[in-house]
Amino acid sequence: MSTRPPTLREKRRYILARIEPAGTLPEQKELYYAISDATTSLWGDATTAIITPAVVALEYGHVVIRCRRGTERELAIALSTVTACRDVRICLRIIAASGTIESLRSRYRPKKIPKSKNQPAPEPESETTATVADEGVEPVLPECTFVKKTFIIVQCNGQKVDVIEKGFKNTNRLFLTKDDLENLNATTISDRI
Amino acid sequence: MKITDAAVYPYPLGDASIRRLALEAAALGFDSIVAADTPSGTYGGVEVRSGLMIRDVPLKDVISSVKRSKDSGKVISVNAANNNFNRAVIGLKGVHILRGIQSADKLAFDHVAAKMAADNRVAVDIDLSPIIMGRSVARQRAIHRYMDIMVLEQRFEFPITLSSHARSLLDMRNVRDIAGICSLIGMDVPDVERALAGVGTVLTAPKQAVTVIA
Repeated sequence: MSTRPPTLREKRRYILARIEPAGTLPEQKELYYAISDATTSLWGDATTAIITPAVVALEYGHVVIRCRRGTERELAIALSTVTACRDVRICLRIIAASGTIESLRSRYRPKKIPKSKNQPAPEPESETTATVADEGVEPVLPECTFVKKTFIIVQCNGQKVDVIEKGFKNTNRLFLTKDDLENLNATTISDRI
Repeated sequence: MKITDAAVYPYPLGDASIRRLALEAAALGFDSIVAADTPSGTYGGVEVRSGLMIRDVPLKDVISSVKRSKDSGKVISVNAANNNFNRAVIGLKGVHILRGIQSADKLAFDHVAAKMAADNRVAVDIDLSPIIMGRSVARQRAIHRYMDIMVLEQRFEFPITLSSHARSLLDMRNVRDIAGICSLIGMDVPDVERALAGVGTVLTAPKQAVTVIA
């Protein structure tokens, strides 16, 4: 079967959304089911068939969702009702809509730093980290205290700190800031773990 | 005009600290939030207003609670119940918002209550969580009830507030998403803008119809 010429193909649009909380890595198929469920639940089968949502890329904590041109608004509203993906709580924050996937990719892909001749050699520290990672030894995560309980820091970005209570009883994520920890006499933590 | 989320629940009611909620609110395009059981303040450029949410108590207790917190600067809101209760609450001086209208019975908020709300500048809260998190019948009921509220609002012009009732960062939505969700209940962009500024509207004193100059 030959492919249709461009003028006869249906026009598509792509929506870029960030997956929150940071560090959550759902499977592409599971995320598609979550989005499809949300769209069908809100708009019904007939409208969902017109929207034809599809997850076309899932990388760097971002997802690119395809829809038919003219149905971006409906899909965006449906995306705001996505609350979980296979019992894991998530939230999709829409960043942009575009006609090509490539223009959306340029928004979230890390920019490559051009190599210069005067660039210093890579530090030996990074090699050590790689060796440790290769051996499968998990890095020790920093701990902190909040309301007299010990927490493990799972994500830290600027002021934002995500923690999980130490132990196996309560594994819910708490969303705090560095100020919350400092006020409660917690450890000082670096920006990157 | 301050864009306000009329109800969020920080730790320990939710899983995020008030500072983190304020940071997130700023990123989502809000100027202020009303937080339950939290002192007022400003974090990350977002004004946090202290909110008192009264629910599931008889009218006598509502009156005493409102009297206690009248001049505390808190945003006082009462959960809706039956029609008589709602009319009595709307008539109380010091009450700012009537909440949970989607869970009250069908006749809980009628045209008389709407007229009273407009006269006393008591806002009716539109809780977006049943639309965001609810599915099937629960969501349909909420949408239907809110559409009914909007019909009364167009007629009597009482204030409306919008709230996410977020207990987590993941429950909060940005202003554009809120506008999209509100379009499901028949609100257009000017309506949404007015509703997002609803908390500011009920907290400012109304302009006198006649001003005595000398």
